Amino acid sequence: MRQGVTASRAGGAWRIGGTGIKDAARRLRRSPAAILDAAPADPPDSEAAGTKERTLQPNQGTGEASGRLAAVWRAVLPPLALLIAVLVAWEAVIRLLHLPQYALPAPSAIAAVLVAKQASLAAAAWVTAGEVLVGFIVSGVVGAALALLIARFDRLGRAIYPLVVLFQTVPKIALAPLFVLWFGYGLLPKVVLIAVIAFFPVGLDMLAGLRAVDPNLVALMRSVGASRGQILWRVQVPTALPHLMSGLKIAVTLSVIGAIVGEFSGASAGLGYMIEFASTQLDTALVFAALVEVSVLGIVFYYLVELAERLLVPWSPR
Amino acid sequence: MSSRTEASALAADAAPHIEARGVCVDFASGRGAALRVLDDVTLAIPRGSFVSLIGPSGCGKSTLLKVLAGLLAPVEGQVSVAGMPPAAAARQRRIGLVFQDATLLPWQDALANAGFLLRITDRTRPAEAVRERARTMLGLVGLEGAERRLPSQLSGGMRQRVAIARALALDPEVLLMDEPFGALDAITREAMSAFLLDLWQRTGKTIVLVTHSIDEAVFLSREVHVMAAGPGRVLATLQVPLGYPRTEASYADPVFGEIATRLRLLLREGHAG
Repeated sequence: MRQGVTASRAGGAWRIGGTGIKDAARRLRRSPAAILDAAPADPPDSEAAGTKERTLQPNQGTGEASGRLAAVWRAVLPPLALLIAVLVAWEAVIRLLHLPQYALPAPSAIAAVLVAKQASLAAAAWVTAGEVLVGFIVSGVVGAALALLIARFDRLGRAIYPLVVLFQTVPKIALAPLFVLWFGYGLLPKVVLIAVIAFFPVGLDMLAGLRAVDPNLVALMRSVGASRGQILWRVQVPTALPHLMSGLKIAVTLSVIGAIVGEFSGASAGLGYMIEFASTQLDTALVFAALVEVSVLGIVFYYLVELAERLLVPWSPR
Repeated sequence: MSSRTEASALAADAAPHIEARGVCVDFASGRGAALRVLDDVTLAIPRGSFVSLIGPSGCGKSTLLKVLAGLLAPVEGQVSVAGMPPAAAARQRRIGLVFQDATLLPWQDALANAGFLLRITDRTRPAEAVRERARTMLGLVGLEGAERRLPSQLSGGMRQRVAIARALALDPEVLLMDEPFGALDAITREAMSAFLLDLWQRTGKTIVLVTHSIDEAVFLSREVHVMAAGPGRVLATLQVPLGYPRTEASYADPVFGEIATRLRLLLREGHAG
């Protein structure tokens, strides 16, 4: 046995050292300091591997950095070039064919409006952003809470789930005039409309996540006497978080749509209201300028959710 | 080892540690008729022994292990672990369970994973004591220094060791393992076999291993139960008359070859039937 034990221990140490290097490379991509912190924690017999990691570090670090910059450049350059080409062509067509500004404004005219009406556009964007934010949070809370109820209480879940799916088949946008009728012209009807549109993907993804736990692990926890609440909060909910985040990414884009539609149906401020108002005035350049701001708003919100995902679910595979 | 284990060891020295008598298990099939998965399985496993269940896929060896673990109740027959129904034994933390997949929590490091089951079942134990116990268990499975790593930063073999540490943290008398090395490469498997044997000799637990590897079964076990499919049943029980400790040299022992050949023939017979 002596022989066997040493062989297996040596084998173990070698493997620990081996993963150490791979692991270090992975951590290096995040922060070079992390590996230095981790080095003392390595077992003593992987000391050799440890030193190798440290000497490798500078070369690998710069290689990674310049490689990543090149990758970003490769990803950004083609769409940027295409966008510029489209804008140039657009501008050229308008100028050559002398199209009227109210039908289709030139990109240069839109840019001019973006600058000239900076203040009022920003004020409108602020209003819409507030609606999106509140509506998105409500939809996230409602969606996640529904999923938790359905997953936790079987009988209640069997009652709720078909109704939620049935409700989803109703075209929610058609409800916007009703919400104006019930809740007036302020923030509330927009928030309700957004929540009604955007809760569904959140709930659906969260529910899938709550059910994605390893059945063996759940059976094991049950057998040693874990309660349903413990299984839910300690295993199911953390397992569902990555799913919840992808549901939220869909919900946030739907929230922007909901806010604009809500403003179309009755509002006194916001980008949707501005689009509606400008189009009745045949101020098409302003319509486009507001559309630009809506897109910027959507992109900013989307990346905020993605940032939240990185912070909240660092173990999520991507 | 705790005093609880020693006391019950004295009391139940003669009786088998794990016993199944006439165990039958049915699964509901699609057309309403029940499908018999285990038919009249009887076996007795002495305290402190290392026993393997081997058989072709579909022979119900994993199902039998689930019955022994108390996760599944048989429709007929009796099962006892340490003189009580397995579900009760599991609740008293007498049974440790390891699956083919490590089933670790990806958001928790090795230390938290190793202490996870103990923390949720023993609510009286302070968090620091749970961590200390988990740290000791990680040391026992040769993972000192890897406490802060997430499962994604561990190799397959290391993840499986964390799962073993998690089971051992409960200080069970019995360790039930369902193809614990099935997902590992051949070299890691052999190293894990030697590691498991060493662990068994240091802890003195009763270990039941489900495997489909003949070499693994012969190298590790004192006794091998060969199972056959359709419906799942125990075909034969073979003693492995090789002394411990066993080493790499044991693979070349003529007795090893003889037992392996007999197992191979039995498995072929079970497969044909």
